Amino acid sequence: MSDKKQGDDGYQHDQVLSHAFDGIEEYNNRLPNWWLFTLYASIIFAFGYWLYYETFVVGPGQEAAYEQVMQKAAEAELARASAGGLNDESLLMMAGMPDKVAEGAQIFKTYCVACHLEKGQGSVGPNLTDEFWIHGPKPMNIHETVTNGVLAKGMPQWGLQLGPKRVEAVVSFVLTIKNTQVPGKPPQGERHAAEDTAPEDSEAPAGDAPGGDA
Amino acid sequence: MGTSSATTHRVVYDDDIVRAFSIVTMVWGVVGLLVGVLVATQLSFWQANFGLEWLSFGRLRPLHTNAAIFAFVGNMMFAGIYYSTQRLLKVRMASKLLGWIHFWGYQLIIVGAAVTLPLGLTQSKEYAELIWPIDVLVTVIWVVFAINFFWTLAIRNERNLYVAIWFYIATIVTIAVLYIVNNLQLPTSFLHSYPIYGGVQDALVQWWYGHNAVAFFLTTPILGIMYYYIPKAAERPVYSYRLSVVHFWSLIFLYIWAGPHHLLFSALPDWAQTLGMIFSVMLWAPSWGGMLNGLLTLRGAWDKLRDDPIIKFFVVAVTFYGMSTFEGPLLSIKSVSALGHYTDWIIGHVHGGTLGWNGFMAIGMLYWMVPRLWNTTLFSKKLAEIHFWIGTIGILLYISSMWVSGISQGLFWLALDGDGFLKYPDFIEGLISSRFMYQMRLIGGVLYFLSFLLGVYNLARTIRSGRKVNGETTVKGSLEPDSRFNWKVMFGAPVIYSALVLILSFVLGGFGMVGAAVALGGLAVVVVAAMLGVGLVRDDHTKQWHYRLEGNWWVFSILVLLAILIGGIVEIIPTIVIANKAPLEALNTETGEPNPYLQQPYSPLELEGRDIYVREGCYLCHSQMIRPFRSETLRYGDYSRLEESIYDHPFQWGSKRTGPDLARVGGRYGNMWHYLHLRDPRNTSPGSNMPTYAFMTDRKVKLDGTAHKMEVLARLGVPYEAADFAAAKQTALSQGGLISADLESQGVEVEPDSELVALISYLQRLGRGPQPVAPDAGGSAALGAR
Repeated sequence: MSDKKQGDDGYQHDQVLSHAFDGIEEYNNRLPNWWLFTLYASIIFAFGYWLYYETFVVGPGQEAAYEQVMQKAAEAELARASAGGLNDESLLMMAGMPDKVAEGAQIFKTYCVACHLEKGQGSVGPNLTDEFWIHGPKPMNIHETVTNGVLAKGMPQWGLQLGPKRVEAVVSFVLTIKNTQVPGKPPQGERHAAEDTAPEDSEAPAGDAPGGDA
Repeated sequence: MGTSSATTHRVVYDDDIVRAFSIVTMVWGVVGLLVGVLVATQLSFWQANFGLEWLSFGRLRPLHTNAAIFAFVGNMMFAGIYYSTQRLLKVRMASKLLGWIHFWGYQLIIVGAAVTLPLGLTQSKEYAELIWPIDVLVTVIWVVFAINFFWTLAIRNERNLYVAIWFYIATIVTIAVLYIVNNLQLPTSFLHSYPIYGGVQDALVQWWYGHNAVAFFLTTPILGIMYYYIPKAAERPVYSYRLSVVHFWSLIFLYIWAGPHHLLFSALPDWAQTLGMIFSVMLWAPSWGGMLNGLLTLRGAWDKLRDDPIIKFFVVAVTFYGMSTFEGPLLSIKSVSALGHYTDWIIGHVHGGTLGWNGFMAIGMLYWMVPRLWNTTLFSKKLAEIHFWIGTIGILLYISSMWVSGISQGLFWLALDGDGFLKYPDFIEGLISSRFMYQMRLIGGVLYFLSFLLGVYNLARTIRSGRKVNGETTVKGSLEPDSRFNWKVMFGAPVIYSALVLILSFVLGGFGMVGAAVALGGLAVVVVAAMLGVGLVRDDHTKQWHYRLEGNWWVFSILVLLAILIGGIVEIIPTIVIANKAPLEALNTETGEPNPYLQQPYSPLELEGRDIYVREGCYLCHSQMIRPFRSETLRYGDYSRLEESIYDHPFQWGSKRTGPDLARVGGRYGNMWHYLHLRDPRNTSPGSNMPTYAFMTDRKVKLDGTAHKMEVLARLGVPYEAADFAAAKQTALSQGGLISADLESQGVEVEPDSELVALISYLQRLGRGPQPVAPDAGGSAALGAR
């Protein structure tokens, strides 16, 4: 090749080496500065990172970082719990709030219908519209069942996945379909007459279920 | 370099083997891409699984990856290596017979893969799915190839080895090591085996292999091919010999450490994850060294870019190489991995590499080489131009849709609301929102496939228009004897210095100072890079140590082997030690309490269910590794611990979440839910794109073989006892009976020994201790209760 140049920096630019392979020639150009900078910078970064996280353990490892996040979340949870108590009355109040119930209906449709069907009449899971309750009929009983699940029977622990607000909403919705007596899965659990558990202004009929196989 | 005699002789190259490999490259390219289009269709439209088990996503996805990597790129690599090696060494391949054994053996392997994978015969290790008889065949054929290649080096007529040959050496040596180590397994039958590694060990070895299959199968040989074909096509000198030296050694040394970046935030110990990350970051510049030498070789030939489609393909290929090797280190940074891992971003990343870098290098090479092999000209330049543009648009559509869907998925999964709870608790919502992007990806893939068909047509017409011709050259005399083997070259200054640093670091490592050991090991990189870089500044490269090294293929190959062994040894051996100690420590904690996380062996039925899970490739869409993030533990339960999968041969941590994680799915839903879900996932999860598995209802598990499988696992260290083997079949039937009875009470009848029941028993066990296997046991059942 004819294009030989001597650079100001003393390096040979574009000068082919004395030997060719199957006609392929090679220059011996110097390595670009930015490339060298990238190489050295990434090596320095690697050392620094190793020293920071592994040798001197200044930064937290993955478990420590996780514990920090969980600690903060637990504190927030504690603050929320001590701020306002959740009880049967407050859940019943929510069951009277159309927004809350509508949100709960949506959640129910997404997560619950696979086992309880659209109207809560039950298939894999029990009928939620009759007067029979396996794990207790009170709003807080239902809240507890949704939050912690019934692992032995395949009811998932929804509390973590859905978070407290969604659980409250879906419980409010369930309280509105309770005792609506939709024909479906045969009764399971103990019978609790409607007046024992329903909101005081409930229009649900008391006494025996009017129809279906309940 | 002097010659010992002045006689001149003619060398005719063996190009028949090159022609054969070129043709099968096109054929397998079509097959690999076609299967890719089908699996992409299945992700958009689940009906495209056709209700046939052999065509379901979980079985075809390994066929797609194996076909693309080993059949398409593999054959392309062999075509390129056989063609360029002969010419760069001015010698005919040493053995025609070995060449043809290599060719036909390799095609047999591919056909074997194409038959076994759809049948569900798999080891479930990504890119190492092939069952053990095929693994043996692969090893034999690779050795045949290696003998032929190194024999050719030994009889060469060119004293020095050109950089392309260095990369070929690294490929052949490293793939042999990786393939053998990762595929060590104990057969239970002719078609089935369990890997000798379990849980975390298996995960580390697998990703050490998996990552380096990318490095040494899809990268180094193709870089070698780049170093031959780009200067040839551009008719320009290579940009920098010095850069070749520095980036070659730093690339092969650093690459081998990077595997653990596939396991960030997993149960792999922190130090190994950190190593994987920092070595991936350091790999950025060495990778770009290859890109620079490819692109800058075109200086002075940029005008050819305008009217030579071959140069277009090469330039875009090398650009995609640069993009992927920037994206790789980026994704290896822990906080980026937290977002990108398990998502479609990774799918986009690998397709930038395979479609862009590998695919376009293959096409460029074939367009350049085929007319020369058949002594003709390319049938249609115009068609090649069209091929180039459709292909490029296809790739861009593919990777950009995967970026969007991948990053969306990552953000979606991680998002917490103001109260610190999941903003999007419903997993399927994310999948549904990706649907449009899946369709865009499909269109991109189809465009690439169609453009490839145009290329095959163009090449077929080219072949028909020409006649086979074998290349030739003339050689004067023969090599001096001392240039063939000179062990003294081993002790060049860079080798001595890096050996000293490494020995020092291992000594420190021996005193338990892992940190110091690794830091010093990393220092070796700097030393080598600096010594090579500085040493080569002097003008006369022929007086340098590396120049002498290039004349000694034995020594060169040994140094390559040493360079690639270090990273693997440092990462794998401590992990195996840790994993072996875990069960012992579990029994001897200070409090005397057993480690609650320590895995208990599966019951016979669960083991069979697990084999079905493996057979169906469930791990391709479902991970079993919950990362220590609040968003993950809220969604899936407590994060996964190392001890929990210690007896899993093979591990099932997975690498992709098209569906949710299953590490703790046991007990989350009832048996009936699983029954409905497996028969048609849309029963319980509307919007799902999972295939249906109704066929499992009527198929029986072969429980007569279960005891033998347990015996094999016991030999691998799983704590089964002799009594377990004798009772295996009875225990399985009894446990199946419980599930079957539960389902019957809810109105469906399934046999206790059906595959569906076995799979449900495995799913119900995930993340939990031993489950009842007999009616009266009440949870205290025999297995694992000791």
